[in-house]
Amino acid sequence: MTDLQAAAPTAAPAGIAPGSAPPPRLPLTFIAGAGFGFVAFGIAVVAVRETVVKIPDAPTVLASAHLCMLGFLVTALLGALHQFVPVVCARPVRSVRAGWVTAALWLPAVVVLPVGFASGHPAVVSAAGLSAFGALCLAAWNLSGPLSVPARGTSVTGLRWAVTLLVATALFGVVYAFDRTGNWFVLLPTRVLAHAHLGLIGAVGLAYVAVAEKLSPMFLLTHRPGRSPTGWAVRAIPAGVGLLVPGLLFRISGLARLGAAAVAVGLACHLWSLARTIRARRRRLELLHAFVLASAAFLLTAAVVAAIAGFAPVDPLWRVRLVAAEIAALAAWLGLAVIGHAHKIVPFMTYSQLRAKGCHHGPAGRPLLFSDLYNRTAARATCVGATAGFAALTIGLITATSGLVGASGMLLVITGITATANLATGPARAAHLAGRQHDFG
Amino acid sequence: MTLAEPDPRVVRAWHALRGVVDPELGLDVLDLGLVYGVAIDDAGRMRVTMTLTTPGCPVSESLADEAETALAWALGPSTPVAVEVVWDPPWTPERISDTAARRLGYRPRRR
Repeated sequence: MTDLQAAAPTAAPAGIAPGSAPPPRLPLTFIAGAGFGFVAFGIAVVAVRETVVKIPDAPTVLASAHLCMLGFLVTALLGALHQFVPVVCARPVRSVRAGWVTAALWLPAVVVLPVGFASGHPAVVSAAGLSAFGALCLAAWNLSGPLSVPARGTSVTGLRWAVTLLVATALFGVVYAFDRTGNWFVLLPTRVLAHAHLGLIGAVGLAYVAVAEKLSPMFLLTHRPGRSPTGWAVRAIPAGVGLLVPGLLFRISGLARLGAAAVAVGLACHLWSLARTIRARRRRLELLHAFVLASAAFLLTAAVVAAIAGFAPVDPLWRVRLVAAEIAALAAWLGLAVIGHAHKIVPFMTYSQLRAKGCHHGPAGRPLLFSDLYNRTAARATCVGATAGFAALTIGLITATSGLVGASGMLLVITGITATANLATGPARAAHLAGRQHDFG
Repeated sequence: MTLAEPDPRVVRAWHALRGVVDPELGLDVLDLGLVYGVAIDDAGRMRVTMTLTTPGCPVSESLADEAETALAWALGPSTPVAVEVVWDPPWTPERISDTAARRLGYRPRRR
């Protein structure tokens, strides 16, 4: 045997099963839907700017909150999970067709449900809620195939919990929706908060923590010695949510505070892990990290605001404002992370499609890169606009300034349109430029 | 051919791998230290063993394919190609070349 290099590998291939990921169109459909959901949320914020500062739990405000949570965050999460879970677990989803059925059930439901809230039609809310619940159960079943692989580490442990808590959140939603007609129990503000925290922290938040544990070191070429603090995060967060939610549901303040403390420990471990990864990085920080750091700042803001609302002796009116701002800051934490990571995973998926069509070179004539598949100036503007929009929303809710809330909605609309158009048209633009160079070259 | 003169097909293979670029980092697989071995086995196949920066890497399903395509194009139909992705020894940033490390904005950390 003629061998130019002495280094000889010693083991058989492991870890990656070729063809684990579903066709890119499936996750991209969810992510495109999330783009529209984000724009719709911005429009809704503009529409409810006067109401939200006076009656934060008014039906139109609930409609806006559901557009953010379901139309934007969970839709993006479903896209990310259908792409990420099969790759990281090295096992495909149970059925790609079931993935498409999930999209068909989910995407109309997340539009109809807020419309039902805003227009005061409980039957519409119930029907859309059932459709969304069915979609999430189907997604959970589909993802349980890859997630059932034995011993795959911290990320997979976190994702198992996140998917479980996502179904629990949906179940809560269905019960609450039917309660609007059945009047089984009083829908106290603390019960609404229980639902919000279960979804934002237990489902979407935990999923982000688990995914970041895998992606952040990879994007920064970080090899960290020792065990990651995220191992604690993926245990403390579900445990904390498991105490916080019944504490809020049954108004047992001791239980709620204990749960909140455990959640805070888990989220602190996540931030610690993120800081360790950034400190040990082997490449420059880039646009994604501007999103991630802004996102982390909103998580800290949410924690501080929640601590003041939960522990400080504040006026009830101020407590309502603080809690509304906390929810907005949690949405900002996850929203910025979603938008930032969309600028990574969408180019990755469209890159494969472009390569399959024979487009191998970028606009500069060099090999095609992920960063060729979006306009970087527009992406930077998206980061600035989304951060400013969410900051204005959070501050506007604390200070009860409807003008600021309205301005935040405008910024979110512009940002959502920019990001969606940028990521949707990037591949076509790259292919066009590459083709033109090929023609002239 | 002597031991000092590598098989020209192996040299062509190394040149071909220089054109296989990680689409996230913009660096080729040689500068990133992802290629562990290039050799012609007893059956006359060009056998390339390579790794990825981490198991579960999103490009895991495309980078090896791209390497195989580049090798097949460079070597022609007379030399079959087999690209094998391995995880042992695991990749570490120390495998990045000095040039690539500078392009990434970091000086390599040697043990």
